[in-house]
Amino acid sequence: MKNKKCVAMLLAGGQGSRLGVLTSKIAKPAVPYGGKYRIIDFPLSNCANSGIDTVGILTQYKPLELNDYIGSGKPWDMDRLSGGVHILPPYQSQHGGNWYKGTANAIYQNLEFIERYNPEYVLILSGDHIYKMDYSKMINQHEKDGADCTIAVLEVSMEEATRFGIMNAHEDGTIYEFEEKPPVPKSNLASMGIYVFNWDKLRKYLIEDEANPESSNDFGKNIIPAMLDAGEKLKVYRFNDYWKDVGTVDSLWDANLDLLNPKLDLDLSDRGWKIYSRNIAMPPQYIAECAVVENSLITNGCEIYGNIDYSILFENVTVEEGANIEYSLVMPGAVIKKGANVRYSIIAENVVVEENADIGGDPAVVGNEGWGITVVGANLTIGKNAKIPANQMIIENVEKEEA
Amino acid sequence: MRTSAVAGIVLANVNDNLLKKLTAHRSMASIPIGARYRLIDFSLSNLVNAGVTSVGIITKENYRSLMDHVGSGAAWELDRKNGGIYLLPPYLTSGVKRYSGTVDALYGAKDYLKRCDSEYIVLCNADVLANLDINSAVKAHIEKKADVTVLYYKGTLTEENRDNLHMTLGEDNQISIMRFENTPNENTVCGIGVTIISRELLLKFLEEAYEDGLVNFNRDFLSTKVDSLKIYGYEHKGYVCFMNGTDSYYKASMDMLKPEVRKELFNRERPIFTKTRDDMPTRYGTKSNVKNCLIADGCIIEGTVKNSIISRGVTIEKDAVVENCILMQETVVGKGAQLNNVISDKNAVIGAEMILKGTKEKHFFVKKNQIV
Repeated sequence: MKNKKCVAMLLAGGQGSRLGVLTSKIAKPAVPYGGKYRIIDFPLSNCANSGIDTVGILTQYKPLELNDYIGSGKPWDMDRLSGGVHILPPYQSQHGGNWYKGTANAIYQNLEFIERYNPEYVLILSGDHIYKMDYSKMINQHEKDGADCTIAVLEVSMEEATRFGIMNAHEDGTIYEFEEKPPVPKSNLASMGIYVFNWDKLRKYLIEDEANPESSNDFGKNIIPAMLDAGEKLKVYRFNDYWKDVGTVDSLWDANLDLLNPKLDLDLSDRGWKIYSRNIAMPPQYIAECAVVENSLITNGCEIYGNIDYSILFENVTVEEGANIEYSLVMPGAVIKKGANVRYSIIAENVVVEENADIGGDPAVVGNEGWGITVVGANLTIGKNAKIPANQMIIENVEKEEA
Repeated sequence: MRTSAVAGIVLANVNDNLLKKLTAHRSMASIPIGARYRLIDFSLSNLVNAGVTSVGIITKENYRSLMDHVGSGAAWELDRKNGGIYLLPPYLTSGVKRYSGTVDALYGAKDYLKRCDSEYIVLCNADVLANLDINSAVKAHIEKKADVTVLYYKGTLTEENRDNLHMTLGEDNQISIMRFENTPNENTVCGIGVTIISRELLLKFLEEAYEDGLVNFNRDFLSTKVDSLKIYGYEHKGYVCFMNGTDSYYKASMDMLKPEVRKELFNRERPIFTKTRDDMPTRYGTKSNVKNCLIADGCIIEGTVKNSIISRGVTIEKDAVVENCILMQETVVGKGAQLNNVISDKNAVIGAEMILKGTKEKHFFVKKNQIV
């Protein structure tokens, strides 16, 4: 097997339980985003655009849809003779098998995969974030610094810093301490969960960590502190562009509607840094005579006869005449029938909203207290005239109501 | 592993001369249509949807954009170990002239036909916009033990089909008369430009036709054989439009705004595949006003657009008004510009406040890369 300079390992096994019904059937990285993408398109496209052609994808929770989506890796140019994309689920060996116990353990269980390519560096990524990043720049800095590990960090406000893993670093970027969600942060450099390791060092620390029964086998909690204790050279890599965690319903909704801001520094139309996705054969979108469409993103296969404002419509969505969609995400294949209202909501794949149903609420009308995004789970039907207020998580069909 | 029982041949340059403006830089097959397609997407998808895994594309000139579009054939799953896409440009050796008609063109593809191990060949003209059930047509061909099956539709003579083959059907849809000049009656039907024939018979006929110096395979050869061969018609019942001039191109494009036409052309059972560009979804701005339009991905629309076909990556700036237009890839319409009955080719730039007005009869045409 030809040696690779860098192999990327993408942690995609998380359930993303805070997304509720949206991840009841699919892993978080497979959650649709931005009209025609899935969350995992971002790290995968970043790899492709950064010249990294060997990616191991570690799956565990509900991998079927994700496996299907990744396929041969062709959409990301990762169907390669050598390298390419590999799905790595937990497996059985002679001495039994284990689920992935933690992020570090997931990589530990796949040391053999990395060994085949004998890389200089291993890039650890997660499938939970929306951002565009040139990993080759980070690897260059890592090389230039002669570091053992480089961790990408984002400057956040001091208030926000209490919610992140914080890297305390000297002027020159050398990390001296890692604190997970510190109540009184000393720094505002939040870890983005993106690590570059020298392969020999990563291997050594993963083996040691595995031997320690006390360890929770996690990069942030165990590997990084162990390396710091041993006096290894850990550096920060500063990132200043758009980066968003989409781990909650609110942040997923926010990160989608961010795309409607023309001044956003996440340009998905940039020809030099395309975000690739698996495309299905769909005709162009049709906007009818009776439709009103403003401030929205709409993609192939949509048939729009209703009114759309501040919303993201995914592939193959039908909106009938007189239906209103505002500040909402409508995921692939959903049908919104005549006169229905959808406000401040996330409508998952293939949902049918029957005539005159009313979903979600405007915070200006409902009031901020108790307000929230309403989510309707995939493949459900919301009956005729049904009323679903703000801040609901709908997990089963809703019966029709009398008008 | 064998290739499929049926292989396809697409004639990419048919009737190029009828659409001079649009074929200045490309073949008929690679004319952009329906906001995100090229004409050949329909032929290729029709074939692939019938299980075809080997397709030869015969082309004679202007085929750079065609090669670009077709690539390895992956978009149609035609990147195959066995079969796949064969681009068949003129094979110029001494004594061989560039094709002048379909006999020459097909004769030039005889090496492909000899090497291919499919039993049947489906010949497709690229100038047809239709979603065809070729699978059923081939089945009928086999059941009837036909020598040749020609796809037709029941249409009266129009501007769009005047150049097509017109046929008179006899008993059991066997074709009794086949000709180009037409005096239609209730028994005549119009050819779609898709012919099914066994590979063996095709090779034999091509030798004969070539020896005799014939030009058009259907007109000069098949039409003279209606008595000696079993030539059957197979009816296509759905939408069909032929590209034989800018008018028919415009008509076909506008037809796609009708829901019933889209339903037929973009039939879920037989999807139309095309090369993807990984554009982001189209963004509609605060003052966007869009009515009755077919729009591809990757556009930014901030102005008013009505009754138009908008291709991938088009930008329509604020206060611009676009009506009854076909704007091809990457066209930019500047602030406050007004366009009516305009066809813009790829990468056209229409400056701010420009007023371009064509008429229904004569469309204003903006050439590829032209700045107005």
